[in-house]
Amino acid sequence: MFQGIVNRILMVIPVIFGVTILSFLLLQVMPGDPAEMAMGTRASPEEIEVIRVQWGLDQPLWQQYALFVRDCLTGSFGTSLFHKLPVSQLILERLPYTLGLTLYSTVIALIIALPFAIVAALSRGRAIDVAIRQVFVLMLALPPFWLSFVFIIFFALNLGLFPTGGVGNGFLENIHRLFLPALVVGLSTAALIQQSLRGTLIETMGADFIDTARAKGLTATQVFRRHILRNSLISTISVIGVRISWVIGGTVVVEKIFSVPGLGSLLIDAILTRDFPVIRGLTVFFALLVVMVNLVTDIAYAMADPRVRLR
Amino acid sequence: MTIRLKLLLAASVIALGIAQPTSAVFAQTLKVALGDEPLSFDPIATSDNGSIWTQLLIFDTLIRPDKAGTGLEPGLAASWEVSPDGLTLTFTLRDAKFSDGTAVTPEDVVFSLKRAGVDEKSQWKRFFNPITAFKSEGNKVILTLEQPFTPAFNNLALFAAAILPEKLVTEQGDAFFEHPVGSGPFMLSGWTRGSKVELTKNPHYWQEGKPAVETVELDIVAEPTARVLRLEAGEADVILDPPLNQIADLSSKDGITVGSAIPYRSDFVLLNNTRPPFDNVDVRQALNYAVDKDQLVKGVLFDKGKVAATAMPVMAYADESLKPYPYDPAKAKELLAKAGLADGFSTKLLVDSGNAAHRNVAVALQAMLGQVGVKAEIQMIEGGTMWTTTKAGEYDMALSFATSDTVDPDQLIGFLAVNPERANAYHTQWQNTHLNDLYAKERATVNGPERGAMFKEMVEVFKEGAPMVFLYHPASNWANLNKVKGFEILPTSNFRLEDVTISE
Repeated sequence: MFQGIVNRILMVIPVIFGVTILSFLLLQVMPGDPAEMAMGTRASPEEIEVIRVQWGLDQPLWQQYALFVRDCLTGSFGTSLFHKLPVSQLILERLPYTLGLTLYSTVIALIIALPFAIVAALSRGRAIDVAIRQVFVLMLALPPFWLSFVFIIFFALNLGLFPTGGVGNGFLENIHRLFLPALVVGLSTAALIQQSLRGTLIETMGADFIDTARAKGLTATQVFRRHILRNSLISTISVIGVRISWVIGGTVVVEKIFSVPGLGSLLIDAILTRDFPVIRGLTVFFALLVVMVNLVTDIAYAMADPRVRLR
Repeated sequence: MTIRLKLLLAASVIALGIAQPTSAVFAQTLKVALGDEPLSFDPIATSDNGSIWTQLLIFDTLIRPDKAGTGLEPGLAASWEVSPDGLTLTFTLRDAKFSDGTAVTPEDVVFSLKRAGVDEKSQWKRFFNPITAFKSEGNKVILTLEQPFTPAFNNLALFAAAILPEKLVTEQGDAFFEHPVGSGPFMLSGWTRGSKVELTKNPHYWQEGKPAVETVELDIVAEPTARVLRLEAGEADVILDPPLNQIADLSSKDGITVGSAIPYRSDFVLLNNTRPPFDNVDVRQALNYAVDKDQLVKGVLFDKGKVAATAMPVMAYADESLKPYPYDPAKAKELLAKAGLADGFSTKLLVDSGNAAHRNVAVALQAMLGQVGVKAEIQMIEGGTMWTTTKAGEYDMALSFATSDTVDPDQLIGFLAVNPERANAYHTQWQNTHLNDLYAKERATVNGPERGAMFKEMVEVFKEGAPMVFLYHPASNWANLNKVKGFEILPTSNFRLEDVTISE
């Protein structure tokens, strides 16, 4: 097990190295120049060139890449052209909101998905199973943009239960403030979990070892809790892992509507202004996060299912 | 299972607990929701609206644009004198203090202006660098130029010429701008990047009894509809730029007032003057006649704007009687026929895909041009690639706009109409040597009617040459709760908050 984890971590190195090269080269082919976009209407071409020199955009490619790798290794991930701050600082300021939203939405998703997955599996093929599936497919299909506004208008404006957006101070206030965005993200996560868990539950219920459990005299509840549910939840771990990797950078729409200063909006804003160091730094950081989430998922999987071994 | 849930809960507790910016709640807090996020508070190294507007609340300049945007009024300088030859500018400072209680000295002024005009890091050098000597004398600051350069004086009202405390900036370097100290009406008291800026009344502000509000919260709400919802929920007192199609609805709501002002901005279609048929002035004028600008303002801007005579905003020295090209499709066809294009032609129109108003304008333009036989194909491109594309001349027509940073028309006429200057008449490559000559002369003529006449003539030549299709000046709109009094957007697009009051 330990050796397996070490091997996994070692495998991360070439992956991250590849990401640095890719993110660097992709930016080179992206049209648009940050200095021209910021000062084009205001400065002469010569003056813009001075800014480009200050920002290091005039250096040969290999040199820019070497500096980028150095910045990644020293942990600063470079310095933002417009915020004038290390990218790592920008990331750290926003990371709590992104992680908070990710975990909060996952908790909400589990709370919603588990009971409905169990009910659906137990009443497989009956009207209630079909109804639950329809509702959850709908939840997955609803565009977050639309759903966010419906929730704001209904829960915030009409009922006054939540603020319309923004983040606050401290844990309790943020639990309150981030509920609606977490719910929007959580509903699609819930739909994914419900679908996959229902399927696995049904599959497990038909397995031979369940017959064995019944044969040794366990009650139906005991069989379900100890054997069916436990074994089925293993598959949910990987669904959640994949989903978390996506949610970390993929909630821009929700972040923008609810004014949550997360990493997704930081990346989009950086792309719009061509803040190259932020785009590159964040890409590498996202890659690191995804690799870590995958690693944790694999370890959790291996711990939950003794048949799985990390190599 | 339950263990895992608890773990997740615990982890989110930790994550959210870290997200803890500091803030205090005061009775008189003005909450303004806006879409532009401030990025940095270093005046010589910023170029985005969010940063500029916030800096203007924290820092002062020697002189500043008056509220009408037509002239300049005293800022940190109580009075000033420009020598008849325009080579010496003398400013007499008022008794003012920075928010930390130290006095604003002429040395601070000299330091700050040098920083803006001479410092390697300044992105705004060209606005000040004709000033070659900076001197402090008693409570006066004397600036001298080697050659007359009239815009330099007006440019001192620009945010980049903000007056900073020399001692703190020298001691702290870049870190100063994380906790800036200025002499403006407000001081920075909290900053959650990407979310909000908190400002507190500067107790040492030189305007007695101002500002009226104790604290200001600038909330960054990127999505326009979300801003409207904030106002309706009473979580914002003022919102900037509500969606155009929701303004009428908002104004009919109880307790909400909407306002609009036309800032120094104009929207237009760039024509690539090196590509036929746009090299023919008849064709360029024909396109100007073919566009129903009134209809654009009504239909796309919901009447929040006005038709433009040229791409120059109506600002200092503007000839307000200058008439736009009238909507006259018959005249357009006649001119096209004269250019040998009686059957029209096919062309392409570049549009920034991220600009909602421009997307709608493009569709309307396509229909209007179609009426005179010009078939325009709309090409959407990402906003960030627009400049590179038009600069390289890889376009026929491109929907674009320009704003003025200063109250002096010099900046924009140079950018839009002079070739080569900085951008070859904003990438149209149109050139008029008479206009170029006038531009050189205007810059060396002291403020007054003579300089005004030169601007008027330049704008007329610009209109005749029609290097662009001139469209409209869009308004900047806002909405506020009725309890807020005195909020307005200025012609320079920013807003002052020292006169704003809240009645409870």
